[in-house]
Amino acid sequence: MCGIAGIMFKKADLDLQTGQALIDMLDGCQHRGPDSTGFALYGDAKSGQLRLRFFVGEDTEATEAIQRIQATLADQGADVVEDQVIGNNYRVTVNFDGDVRKFSYRMEHVAKVISIGSSLEIIKDVGSAHDVDDRYDVHCFRGTHGIGHVRLATESDVKPEASHPFWATGFTDVAIVHNGQITNYWKMRRRLEQRDFQFSTDNDSELVAVYLADKLSQSASLKEALASSIDDLDGTFSFLVSTRDEIGYAKDRLAAKPMIMFENDNLISIASEEVSLNRLFPGQALNTKEPPPGTYNTWSRSI
Amino acid sequence: MVTIDLAEISVRKANELIWKQGADGDDVEVINPDARHHIGVGLTSPITVKIRGSAGYFCAGLTDQAHFEVDNNVGWGLGDNMYVGSVVVAGNAGAIAGVAIRGAELVIRGNMGSRAGQVMKAGTLCCAGNANFMAGYMMYGGRIIILGDSGERLGEDMTGGEIFLGGRLQDLGSDAEVTDTADEEIESIREFLDRYKISFEGTFQKVVNAGKKLRYSTSEEQMRSIPFFSFSGDSSYWNPKIQEDIHVKSQIGRYRIRGYGGARSLPHLSDLAFKRDLSSAGDDVDVASKVEMYTEIGSKNGANPLKLSMPVMIAPMSYGALSRSTKQAIGIASSLSRIAENTGEGGMSDAQRDAADQLIFQCLGGRLGWNIHDMLRADGLEIYISQGAKPGLGGQLMAKKVTPELAAIRGIPAGIDLRSPSRHPDILGADDLIIKIEEFREATGYRLPVSVKLGAGRVRDDIKIAVKDGFDFIELDGMQGSTGAGSAEVIDYVGIPTLAAIIEAEEALAEIGRRDDIEIILMGGIRDGVDAVKGLCLGADAVAFGTSVIIAGGCIACMQCHVGQCVTGIATQDPKHEERYHIHVEAQNIHRFLESVRWQIASITQGLGHTDVRQLSRDDLVAVTPDAAAITGLPYAPEFRENRVPEVVKAS
Repeated sequence: MCGIAGIMFKKADLDLQTGQALIDMLDGCQHRGPDSTGFALYGDAKSGQLRLRFFVGEDTEATEAIQRIQATLADQGADVVEDQVIGNNYRVTVNFDGDVRKFSYRMEHVAKVISIGSSLEIIKDVGSAHDVDDRYDVHCFRGTHGIGHVRLATESDVKPEASHPFWATGFTDVAIVHNGQITNYWKMRRRLEQRDFQFSTDNDSELVAVYLADKLSQSASLKEALASSIDDLDGTFSFLVSTRDEIGYAKDRLAAKPMIMFENDNLISIASEEVSLNRLFPGQALNTKEPPPGTYNTWSRSI
Repeated sequence: MVTIDLAEISVRKANELIWKQGADGDDVEVINPDARHHIGVGLTSPITVKIRGSAGYFCAGLTDQAHFEVDNNVGWGLGDNMYVGSVVVAGNAGAIAGVAIRGAELVIRGNMGSRAGQVMKAGTLCCAGNANFMAGYMMYGGRIIILGDSGERLGEDMTGGEIFLGGRLQDLGSDAEVTDTADEEIESIREFLDRYKISFEGTFQKVVNAGKKLRYSTSEEQMRSIPFFSFSGDSSYWNPKIQEDIHVKSQIGRYRIRGYGGARSLPHLSDLAFKRDLSSAGDDVDVASKVEMYTEIGSKNGANPLKLSMPVMIAPMSYGALSRSTKQAIGIASSLSRIAENTGEGGMSDAQRDAADQLIFQCLGGRLGWNIHDMLRADGLEIYISQGAKPGLGGQLMAKKVTPELAAIRGIPAGIDLRSPSRHPDILGADDLIIKIEEFREATGYRLPVSVKLGAGRVRDDIKIAVKDGFDFIELDGMQGSTGAGSAEVIDYVGIPTLAAIIEAEEALAEIGRRDDIEIILMGGIRDGVDAVKGLCLGADAVAFGTSVIIAGGCIACMQCHVGQCVTGIATQDPKHEERYHIHVEAQNIHRFLESVRWQIASITQGLGHTDVRQLSRDDLVAVTPDAAAITGLPYAPEFRENRVPEVVKAS
């Protein structure tokens, strides 16, 4: 139960304030989900490097978690380039050229992974868009694209790790924000688990992320992956997916969850409600479009 | 004309200004709307509101007589429940445009989203562009004009009304069919289009209800008279109930509908006992004046509370299931006992409003009888999600009871077997629900408590959503609740017992530390003051009486509520049968019953050593069956079985 938002800038000469744009859009639909807020942001990637974010908690708990993480990184052959503690997060950049899936699953068993990516970083926590920005300086973030989420916790607790976006556990740089409910969750999860995929939560949004990342890893395009998701996933959903170079959406055939988009020469923006899109263009009447039921689309980064 | 700048003030302030302008007869211009929700909600004056940009959800919702012009797009629920008046939207509209309208003219120059015109009753919804998925879904009347293409499943499960399509018909929904147009219908459409300056040269196809699902193919039989007491006998195989069930099915060839409550024995409040010896409780004749029972419900978020002389309310029961006279008698009794009455589904009659000093107005998915004027004269608003007797399902009102008069109030065709929608058009999740509650509060100036009626199903999750979404109180209805008509298997086998429901609710609120942010009214088989006190001990802030009030007012428990020929004049809409019901006599009977409840609550509370009903707690109770102990976590103490029915009940 929530609101979602996503943005991709098309031109490099714009001041790409993706962080601030997502804060504004999510603040606009915060009424849909006051419990927690999160952002999936895409920065510059350096070849051979991965950036990892973990929830480590505070004080002794944090110290112990960081020790475990560092020991495991060394064990996995990941050399730490830089690291820092931000709030209850531990953010570390490593040189790594091994099997990312195995590496990810190993790290999941050591601490609560938020995201692993070459360009992706997920920032999420309890509280409003502005609360999370105050803690993690989301507004400073520059980049071509990102997606975000406000959450009303209904079936699980209000905890940082239960908030969205979710990354596709085991796959770098794939993130999802989702409004709705996947009703064939367990069936789809069992199918993926039979193929040795691991899940770090019982959240249906994580399933969508892993489902799409699996398709992508079998050399499907993002468009093809989204097309098959509409056939394979049951339930009500409007979701946004982002990868290192693309964003996309898919909407279920029942059109039970809202989604609206605005596109011009400079950007594509998609949100649960037009009020979020208008936050980017105060006082302007926007020529918006509502995606029809059972449709999907993608946009690629040209810069 | 005054200009209101939404970059400067909140929608709530803006709406107050718009109402004031309305009262003065001045038009309004709204600038910088930026797709904000609830613009113009609750306006009931014939002024024009010009919105310079896009509006969000429920633009012009719950209004009457006003005219709205929107320069750009609108979000979900355009013109929700609008009576007379108009909205012209220059851009596109989101989902459920024209939901539940009752006479308004809505014009959308662009495209409209899915489920346009859902449960609309009267008026015209015109879209110059394309419609989307399931336009006309469950519409009961009125006219939809689509100049572009239809989208999938046009007219899905429509009951009445007409859809005129100028563009391509993608496909038809269930129980919809294409039929011939009449010249005067086309003339009327041309006149409408001219009036709104829309040029269209094409021809129209007309889509209407095909009539295959309006009535059960066989009508419900009157069953043999078996009093409920033998009907619900303990023997579970081939007892009279099972035999009658099979007999009826052998005649009608489908599942059965019946009234009244479940007839299975389930763990209930009677499986609990009071810890103290209450043999001398009730000796004090003035006990009711010595125990503090006054209870306010509904002020958690600043609304004017319901003021109850004791922690008791009347459970929601509809005018429709019950006769007008019965609702009137219950209303009078509620006033005499200084508690609150509830409209249930299907609207508010003047008689009912006049009779009840405090009246909660209930809103269901079909929006039957729902409207801004009755909202404004209510003392509380309630969103029905489901009921304990048939959680997850809509109400049933058999054709015999859907008289022309009743159909007019509900805005539906007369003489159909009315199966109410089980879902709200605009509540598809906890997120939408937040926006819906806000619309009600906007429309009534934040004066009224807004509650939710929940049938016990997934209580733990539902209760958390209710408190997070900001409801003032919850009416929590367990499986022992009754109904005017429900399918027999569902009544007996679907749901969560009242006892388990209150326990889960309390645990859920404790888990998230929000117990003090909401009030719980427990209902579902509460029979007397003893049950009431047990409910209060388990944590309820008040309890509600339904079936017991009907019985107090003359019901003989014959379980023919669904048939519509109630011999006591209670569950009927037939004037001949209703004549037998003596409103003022039964009002006094119900009042006397409620006063016996008051006396029992006071006596038991005092007998337990308290001076205020708020001192009652779990510590006052034990469980006398293993099941009840497991459900409640109370100590299992079979030696207290004698205390289940304290002397105070026997004395009364």
